[in-house]
Amino acid sequence: MSTKAKEILALAMIFAFSLIFYIGKVLGWEAVRFSTTVSLIVILLVALSLLWILILTIRGRLVERRIVFLYVGIAVALPLFMTLSQKITISPEVEAVYNTLEELPEGSKVLVSFDYDPPSAPELQPMAEAFLYYCFEHDLKVIMMGLWPQGPMQANLAIEKVLSDEKIKSKNLKYGEDYVNLGFQAGYEFVIQRMGSDFRSMFPTDYRGTPYEQIPLVKNVKNFSNIDYCFNLSSGFPGTREWVQIAVDRYGVTLGAGNTAVQAPQMYPFMRAGQLVGLLGGMVGAAEFEFLTKWIGKGTKFMISQSFAHVIVIAFIIIGNVAFFRSKRKTGLKR
Amino acid sequence: MEHFALWLGGFLTLGIFSFLYKDNPWYKLTEAIYVGISAGYFVVVYFWDNFYSKFWIGVFPHKRLNEAGELIAGVEPDYWLIVGGVLGLLMLMRLLPKVGWISRWPLAFIVGATAGLWLINYFASFVMVQIQNTVTPLFGADYSASLFVIVGNIVVAVGTFTGLIYFFFSKEHRGAFGGAARVGIFFLMITFGASFGYTVMSRMSLLIGRIDFLFGDWLGMIK
Amino acid sequence: MPSHPTTSRPSHPAMLLILFTFFLLPCIVLAQTEVGQTNIEGTPIVPDSEQIVAAPVTSLIAADHKYDDGEMIELSWVPSIDDQLVDGKVIGYKVYRLEDDGEPQMITELAPGSNAYNDQSVERGKLYSYFVSALSSNAETPSVRTAPIEPQREWLNYELLNVLIMALVLGGAVIYFIETARRGKKLFVRKIAGLEAVDEAIGRATEMGRPILFIPGILDMDDVQTLAALTILGRIARIIADYDTKIFMPVSRSLVMTAGRETIKASYQAAGRPDAYSDDMVTYITDEQFGYVAAVDGIMVRERPATVFLLGAFFAESLILAETGNSVGAIQIAGTARPAQLPFFIAACDFTLIGEELFAASAYLSGEPKQMGSLKGQDVGKAIAMAAILIGILTVTIGDSWDVEWIQNITTGLTEIFSTK
Repeated sequence: MSTKAKEILALAMIFAFSLIFYIGKVLGWEAVRFSTTVSLIVILLVALSLLWILILTIRGRLVERRIVFLYVGIAVALPLFMTLSQKITISPEVEAVYNTLEELPEGSKVLVSFDYDPPSAPELQPMAEAFLYYCFEHDLKVIMMGLWPQGPMQANLAIEKVLSDEKIKSKNLKYGEDYVNLGFQAGYEFVIQRMGSDFRSMFPTDYRGTPYEQIPLVKNVKNFSNIDYCFNLSSGFPGTREWVQIAVDRYGVTLGAGNTAVQAPQMYPFMRAGQLVGLLGGMVGAAEFEFLTKWIGKGTKFMISQSFAHVIVIAFIIIGNVAFFRSKRKTGLKR
Repeated sequence: MEHFALWLGGFLTLGIFSFLYKDNPWYKLTEAIYVGISAGYFVVVYFWDNFYSKFWIGVFPHKRLNEAGELIAGVEPDYWLIVGGVLGLLMLMRLLPKVGWISRWPLAFIVGATAGLWLINYFASFVMVQIQNTVTPLFGADYSASLFVIVGNIVVAVGTFTGLIYFFFSKEHRGAFGGAARVGIFFLMITFGASFGYTVMSRMSLLIGRIDFLFGDWLGMIK
Repeated sequence: MPSHPTTSRPSHPAMLLILFTFFLLPCIVLAQTEVGQTNIEGTPIVPDSEQIVAAPVTSLIAADHKYDDGEMIELSWVPSIDDQLVDGKVIGYKVYRLEDDGEPQMITELAPGSNAYNDQSVERGKLYSYFVSALSSNAETPSVRTAPIEPQREWLNYELLNVLIMALVLGGAVIYFIETARRGKKLFVRKIAGLEAVDEAIGRATEMGRPILFIPGILDMDDVQTLAALTILGRIARIIADYDTKIFMPVSRSLVMTAGRETIKASYQAAGRPDAYSDDMVTYITDEQFGYVAAVDGIMVRERPATVFLLGAFFAESLILAETGNSVGAIQIAGTARPAQLPFFIAACDFTLIGEELFAASAYLSGEPKQMGSLKGQDVGKAIAMAAILIGILTVTIGDSWDVEWIQNITTGLTEIFSTK
């Protein structure tokens, strides 16, 4: 069979597979779950295959780079079908965010800035949901905003998810009184600067177009001095750095942050200097925070996939180093 | 409509993933759709969120009435925005070769104003505060720190100092200075490795999100 | 003649008694118990002795916050003596404000133990006075009202004087070295690894007959990394014009496109090859980050450049670009000042300019006095930082345990110099 024919066959199989399972979903088929025994067998098979790749590498036969992609895909996808779970240990930075929240009395005003877009949602959306859940559960008033255009939309998705929880539903929270979404404002860090003196100048209306002074929750909120706690969810610029620079250093705001794992290491100097009261870093930070707030969301659900993927990466780093040192000694390696 | 959206999402996601196999028409189509939609999306967002909501509404604000039907005070036009609008128009002069030089003035304004606004903030938050916090007793107050903390303090102090030496461009890296610079680059590489590890976690998280969409939202195989 | 009850003179003592009972007595009682009535001072009525009354706060001071735009008044007081952790009567405090002698408005409620509050919702040109009420379970005890105060604006924030001095020292050093460079003195900048590779990389592309891909990051012209990248582009374009090699420069910002075109055009003109220049060398893709990456990946795979330059500000797309360039067999030279992206460039590229080396390379290649002077001026700043860190750590480590006053004074001085509060 020619390569083209094989490619067409593969595409046809993918399409057929997708169609079958989509129809199954519509018909109400149950989710696919591997039992513990099957999960362990799968893990063993993957481990043995990695060992085989290592042996091949030592013998001088390097595997193709696309095999690495396949293994990463398997490492991420298969655990989602398994019934395994992972123990979550809480790091001090995450606990610090939670402890500061715990100290807030009922009715405190919390400002949450959604400074990310859908590509970063897998890491930051679980943090947002857990945070909002805690706030609503403990009768904290939440004011949401965004320095990124898609931020307020992510806020709405998080609110929708949290409000569908039975415990929160029974509280009959009202928009405008218990929470509000002020929407997006362009201007990067200059928005934070202006908010230091006057929120209304930056948000004359909320996300729905209601004038600021007609919203009961915020009509008496002039600037940061009326806010008890700030929480920033950030995946780039503008983000936590700008909030620290302006809101914390100039206006003395108490700031906690949730960052993607890429940015998190850069925030540790701010934690050390006391400019940040706590930090949730990446999906693991989200999982830890979900554990503390008792909101079981995607952060916890995906941790096992995260761990598997890391193990696969470590395995291929070892294999890659073996290949590298071997190639230094010999030439003409077979592929 | 939901079915169409899910299948379209699945089609486009797998199209991008097909690049891992090789460049192919499916990837090219998906790429073209993505580039086109993102360019169009940003035009619309910049128009409504920047030009309209900041400039147009600022200069010609809506007349808003309160519950009693009276005009709300304080909703005044901000005529300073016209200055910004004029500078923005001057920036567009770049498209006309004969008068393109005019665009340098608003650009100079933006670069200068941004530099001035950021200078003190950056200097205070990212230099002064960090230097102040690096100056800590290595063995803790009254020599009370644990071994772990002492080692950590020494690592921070040595790493910061030698890292600064590496980025000192006025002296050749020779002798003791060169040795210190090598220690500095050693610290930098360890930091980059740790950062790389964190970023791998971040990228895996994004992949997990997409896989969750494919197998969960689209095909319903996981809940 | 009609008689008026309030002005008539009762003729009988009984009438007096009746008047007192039915008119004056009720008025006296009502005057003392009517809700909302205030005394001359404008404070709420002191509750009667049957309620739990906490002692008021004392020594309430309202002061204008120094060094601001007239935006804040600082309040401080001594908490009520009944504010105790165990069996305390005080359950909180309410802060009231009177604006231009108007009605008192409650502006905040504070927890027990509070002894200060910053009122940041004031405006210049208005007079404010305050009082603080100690709250018990069913009563409020107000304090004495403060004298009216107007928030003042100051032009200079003297608390940041040290920041100003450091900025002037650094700025002065930069200006000094710029002027020195302008006078023709050669300023020494150490060799930067990776710069020698630029010429080799361009030569490789020419020999292989494959194009060069130049990516100036994804930020706009207001970012200094983009400016540094364009400076290096000028030098690269000059060599390319001499060798007649093809160059592609996809950009994600429209201003960068026009600046890039001007730079390359100027280089081609300087090389005497204005006819070889084409606007198609620099193309705008999209502002959207991953849309741009998808397009550039496509260009890399289709055009198969021999050399890829990744210089400027990058975000999450850095590894995607570097890995794709690696997969097509290109030699890659990268440089960025974003620490999060450096690990990927170091792993996937052949040469990497780490952080400030990008700006140093820009200065080194252009030889422009402003850039060289800036680089040297920044080295002065780094030298000051290194000295401060070294002296500070030594003195604070030694001073604490040896208790030597002059060493501790050095530590205190250094801490104050670099403090921003």
